Amino acid sequence: MSTGFHVVVCGSLVPDLLQTLEPVQGPAGPALKNELMLPSVLDPWAAHALFEAAHVAATVPGSKVWLVSLGPKAKLQQLMMSIAPKVPFELVAIDASASGFTDPVEVAAALAGAIEKIPTLDRSRLLLFGGCASASRDAGVTVALVGERLGITDQFLAADELTVSAEGTLTILERVEGGKYLVSEVSGPPCAIAWATGNLPEPPNNPQVGMLNMRTMMPALQKAAAVQLASPGTTFHSVELPKQERRTRIVKDVPIDEMAREIADWIKG
Amino acid sequence: MTMETILYLAHTEDDGSLSRVALETLTGAMGLHAQLPGARFVAGFVGGDVSAAVAAASGCGAASFYAVSGPDFAMSRYASDAAALEAICRASGATIVVAPATSRFNRAIPGVAQRLGGRIDTHVGGCSVEGGALRIQRGYYRQRMIATLTRAARPWFLTFDSGVYPQWDGAPVAVQAESLTVTLGDELKKTKVVGYKAPFASAQTIRPDATLLFVAGVGWTKKQADGQVHLEEAAQIILNVLDKSNASLGSSKSLVDQSSEGHNVFSFMSHLNQVGQTGSTPRHPKGLAACCHGEEPHVVGWRFIGERRAINLDPNCGWAQGKADVVYVADAFALIAKVSELL
Amino acid sequence: MTVERSTMDTDIVCVGFGPAVGGFLTTLSRAMVDADGNTLLESRVMPGLPLQVLCYERSDDISFGVSGVVSKARSLRATFSAEQLAEIPMTSPVTREEVLYLQDPLGASRRSRGVRALDALVNTFKGVLPWSDHAVALPWIPPFLQKHDGMVFSIGQLNQWVGSQLMGSGLVQVWPGMPVSAPLFDGDTVIGVRLVDQGVDTAGTPGSAYMPGMDVHAALTVVGDGPVGPVGQQLNRRFGFPAGHHQRDWAIGMKAVVELAPDCDLETGTVLHTFGYPEPEIFGFLYVHPDRMASVGIFIPSWFDNPARTAYRYLQHWMTHPRLWKHLKGSTMRSWGAKTLQESGRRGEPVLVGDGFARIGEGSGSTNVLTGSGVDEAWATGVQLAEAVIELAKAGKPFTKENLDATYVTRRRNSWVEKEAKVAEKARDGFNTGFLRGLVGMGITGLTRGLLNLRGASKRPHERIPSIEQYFGDRISVADIREIRWQCQASGTPLHDALMDRSGWPKIELDGTLLVSHQDALLMGGKVQAAGGFADHVTFLDTATCRGCAEQICVDGCSGQAIMPGADGVPQFDREKCIHCGVCLWNCSKPHVTDAERSNVGFDAGSGGLHSPIN
Repeated sequence: MSTGFHVVVCGSLVPDLLQTLEPVQGPAGPALKNELMLPSVLDPWAAHALFEAAHVAATVPGSKVWLVSLGPKAKLQQLMMSIAPKVPFELVAIDASASGFTDPVEVAAALAGAIEKIPTLDRSRLLLFGGCASASRDAGVTVALVGERLGITDQFLAADELTVSAEGTLTILERVEGGKYLVSEVSGPPCAIAWATGNLPEPPNNPQVGMLNMRTMMPALQKAAAVQLASPGTTFHSVELPKQERRTRIVKDVPIDEMAREIADWIKG
Repeated sequence: MTMETILYLAHTEDDGSLSRVALETLTGAMGLHAQLPGARFVAGFVGGDVSAAVAAASGCGAASFYAVSGPDFAMSRYASDAAALEAICRASGATIVVAPATSRFNRAIPGVAQRLGGRIDTHVGGCSVEGGALRIQRGYYRQRMIATLTRAARPWFLTFDSGVYPQWDGAPVAVQAESLTVTLGDELKKTKVVGYKAPFASAQTIRPDATLLFVAGVGWTKKQADGQVHLEEAAQIILNVLDKSNASLGSSKSLVDQSSEGHNVFSFMSHLNQVGQTGSTPRHPKGLAACCHGEEPHVVGWRFIGERRAINLDPNCGWAQGKADVVYVADAFALIAKVSELL
Repeated sequence: MTVERSTMDTDIVCVGFGPAVGGFLTTLSRAMVDADGNTLLESRVMPGLPLQVLCYERSDDISFGVSGVVSKARSLRATFSAEQLAEIPMTSPVTREEVLYLQDPLGASRRSRGVRALDALVNTFKGVLPWSDHAVALPWIPPFLQKHDGMVFSIGQLNQWVGSQLMGSGLVQVWPGMPVSAPLFDGDTVIGVRLVDQGVDTAGTPGSAYMPGMDVHAALTVVGDGPVGPVGQQLNRRFGFPAGHHQRDWAIGMKAVVELAPDCDLETGTVLHTFGYPEPEIFGFLYVHPDRMASVGIFIPSWFDNPARTAYRYLQHWMTHPRLWKHLKGSTMRSWGAKTLQESGRRGEPVLVGDGFARIGEGSGSTNVLTGSGVDEAWATGVQLAEAVIELAKAGKPFTKENLDATYVTRRRNSWVEKEAKVAEKARDGFNTGFLRGLVGMGITGLTRGLLNLRGASKRPHERIPSIEQYFGDRISVADIREIRWQCQASGTPLHDALMDRSGWPKIELDGTLLVSHQDALLMGGKVQAAGGFADHVTFLDTATCRGCAEQICVDGCSGQAIMPGADGVPQFDREKCIHCGVCLWNCSKPHVTDAERSNVGFDAGSGGLHSPIN
C-alpha cells in the first residue's frame, strides 16, 4: 500500500462507566439525572476503535486518522484533553446531545454528514471505524447506518483484530456465537468495522501527541456545527431502573469445608 | 390505524437448521401477530439451503414464506445478507420486522433498516400491545435502565435477544416458500469468509451451553494474606474448578485489562471472557463469582444469570447488596480449591 | 531496548489544576491577546505566538477535586461577575449560618476534664441555651468565623467550570491524567518538570509499553500542586523553609456529597459547623447546595493524638449524631472523598519563589487557619502571580528569584491574604497543648486580631503519636490490646475498628444508602479507579522501621483502605484503592531516617484516584 488508509473513527462521549446513573423525564424526553455534571469518557468501544485506527495508521504508511465526535461542545472539549495525548488524530466535532436516548438514525445522519464534509478525505481509501455498541444507546447499529449512508457494503461487527497484508488485503476477526471468531478477508477499502475491545492496550499519555492534536482540536471545536437530534414519532412511555433486588443470604464464620460442600452441592444440583 | 405486516426473519446455521434464538424469536413474532389486530404475518429466510429451516418454521401460521438461498448466501457476510434481507423486506411490504439477535443479523439488519428508511431497536427484551399499538422494552446505558417505547415510523426493525420467549417447536406443515432471486455483483463479493477460529490454542474456556458461569475477579491477581501474589496457584485453581464443574469462564474487566497491559496474568483468558461493562451478557442458569466486588458495572453482564452466588472477603461487598442470592465470606483460593475437590 | 526520554519546550508550565492555578491561568490568559486576537504577551519558544502555557493535572479529569467549600469568595468575585459565578452548578449564596457544639450522646467520646466541665455547664443551662438533640448552637458566631455573604460551592464543579472557560479560550492547555513527578534543576534554577514514567510495573520497572516521562522545559514553573504535591515537597526539601517556618500541622478532611431526603427541611445555602464530637478535636461541616444536595464532612487534625485514628469511622459517627442525623436520615451518598489540609498556614509557607519557579495556593502556605478559609486565598495567590508574570513579560524581564520577589511576593505581602494570614499565624498554637486551650487560643487570636495568642510548642506529627497501649490503656487492658493485635494480624485487618468497638463505640448500622461500608464508599461515592502502567506512588521508605512499628497508623488512617497490614510487617499498598488524599505522608509515627521533618512514608506522583466530579 503506497497511499495508506483514511481511517475515520466515530466515537462520542458517555458517562464514566462507574458512575451511578438514574433516569429522569426531561422536557424533551428521557435524560440522565445531573447529566451535565457526570464525568465523561470516550465511549469505551469507540476508544478501542481509535487505538486500533492509530495502530493501523502507524503500520500502513501514508494513513491518517480522524475522530468524528458528537457531544455537547463544552464536554467534548474537556474530554479531548484526556484523549488527545493518547494517539494522533484530527478531530471533527459535532455539537449535539450525547444522550443515549437519541435515535441512531439521526445520529448516523449527523455523523455521515460530517464525514462527507471532511475536505481531504479519500472515500476510496476509507476505513470507517466505531464501537460495536455504545455504552449509552447500547444498540450496536450506528456504524452500520453510517456505513450505509456512505455506500460501504463491506461491514464487520464486534471485531477484535484487523491485519493488513502486504498486498493490502484486510483480514478481520469478528466475535460470533460460542466464544469463537469469524475470519473474513476483504480485498481492500472502503469498509466499515465496528470494534469490540480489540487486543491493544490503552496507549500511554504522550504530551507531544497531545500538543500536536491540540493544533487542530481547538479550531474544530470552535467551528463545530450545532445539530438538533430530533426523534419524530418516538414516544417513551417509561424509563426505569430494573428492580431486581435479591434477598442475599450471607454465609460467614462457617468452616471452609462446610461452605465448599454447600457450593459443590449447588453446582451439582 | 394502518394494518401492520409482521415479517419474521431468520438465517440458517451452518448445518441448515435454525438456532435456538431464531426459534425463540419465532414464538415472539407469532405472539405479536396474535396481539396486533388485523396484522398480516409473513416469514423470510436466508441461507445456503433454507428448506430445513422453512420446514422447521412452517407451522407458524405465516401467510407467505420468502427465501433467498444459494451458495452466495450460505455464509455470514454483510453485503450478501443485507441484499437478501432487503429483497425480502421489499417483497413482503413489511412494516414490523422481527429478527433474532444473532451475530449475523446484528451485523446485517441495521443497514437494511437504513436502506428501507426505517427505524431499528436491538436487544429487545419484551413487547406488548396497548390500544392496538406495539410497545417494546429495551435497555439503555448497558442495560442499566429499561425503557418502554413506541415508534410511529415504519418499517420498524426489532431484534430479540435469546431468553425472551420459549422456543417454537410446532409441527411442520407443507408450505411453499417463494424464492427471491438476488444477484450479487462482484462489488458485493469483496469479502470472503475464511472460517472460524478459536481464541485459545489450549482449553476452550467459553462454554455458552454450560450450566454454570464462573466469574473470576481481579482479586485472584492480588497479594494474598502472605503478602505475595500467587498467579500460578490461582490459574491452577481456576482451571481445575472449570474442569470439574464444566463451567464457562467469565471475567471482570479489570482482570482482563491487566493481560492487555503486558502484565503476567492468565493465558487462558482474554477480553472474550469479559462479562459486563464492555463485555458480554451471557446466559446461564447459575453464576458463581469469586474475587469480584459486585458493584453495578460488574453485575450488568449478569442480567441473564439465574441463581447467583458470590465469594468475597468483604461481607458488605456489592453482591451482598441484593445482587446475589448467597454470598460466602471466605478466601476464594481455599474455598474454590475445596469445591473442586468435592466435585 | 532503551526508550529515549523526550523533551519539550514551553514558556510556562503549571503543576496541578486547582483554585490557585485556576486563578493564575484565568488572569494570565485574559492578558495574553487583545480583543482582536493580537498577541500581547509573546512566546519565547514560539516567537510571534502568545505565551505557550501548559498545565498538568494528576487526576483523570479536572473535575475530580475534593473540598467542601464555603467561602467569602472575595477573590473569585474580583475575577468573575455574579452572573458568571451563578452558572457554576451546586453554587448557592450562604443563607444561614450556625456553629454547633456537639455533646456526646453515647458516652464513648474521650473528653478531658475541661471538656467535661464544659458539658456540665451546657447541661446546667440547656434550658436557656439554644440546645436540642445533644447540641448547642453558639449564640454568637465570632466575626473571624463568619461566612455571611459568602458562597457554598463544589470544588469539583468550580474547577470544571473554570477549566472549560480556560480551554475554550484556546490560550492555555490544561491536561488531566498527567502526574508530574519532579522539578528539573539546573543548579538551583528550576528549568521545568518531568512527567511520570508510564508502562512500568508497581515497582517502577519498565515493561514492554515503557514510556519515560517527558521533560517539559519552561522559563517559569508554577507550582500549585497542593499540600502534598510531589513537586512542592521536593522543592521544600531542596530549599528548606524560611527561618521559623515548618509544616507540622495537618488535617485530613473527609466528606460526602449527599442527596438529602425529600422531607429534609434544611434550606439551600445553610452552613453548619460543628465541634466536640465524635471526639472533641474533630470538626465537622454541613453545607447545603441547591436541589437538596449537601456537602458533609469532618476534619481530623494531626494534633488529635489517637494512634488508630480512622476518618471513615469517625465520619459515620459524626453523621449519626442526633443533631445531624435528623437532617441526614434518609439521605443518599452521591459522592465521597478525602484530602489533606496543610494546617500550618502562614507558618508553613515555603520558599515562595526562586529562579524559574513560583509557588501558589495551599502548598505555598496561603490557607488561613483562623478563618478556616483556603480556596479564596489560593485563588488570590494565583491572581497575584499572574499579575506579576504579566508585568515581567511586558517588561521583557526573566523569571528570576529577584524579579519574582519584586513582583509576585511583593503583591502577596501587600494583599489581604498576607494581612489576614499574619493575624492567623499563631491562632492554632494552643491546640498543641490541648483541645480547650486551642479553642480559647483561637478565640483570643481572632478577637484581638492576632495581637494576643496562646502559645504551645509545635511538635512534628510523629512526636505526638502515643503508643496504642498509652492511648487506650485507660479503656482496654494491655492483655486485651495484645489479643486484638493478634486477631487483627491473623485476619489482616486494621486495628481501628476493633479498638473503637472495644472502647465503647457502637458498631455503625449500615443502611446501604448513606451509611455504607468503606469499600462501598470507594465504589459508590468515589468511583475510585487506577489505570495500569504506573508505579506505586506510596512507598514505605525504611522497611525495617515499618517492621518495628507497633502503631502502623498509616493503615488506620488510610482514607481508601489502600494501605493494609502486610504479612512481612511492612504495610501493603494497593494503588487501585488510593484516593491520593496524602494522609499517609504525615500520618506516620516514625520519622524519616535522615530528615526529622519528614515521616517514613514516601508520597510521590501517581495516577488514578477519585472519579467524582461533585466533591
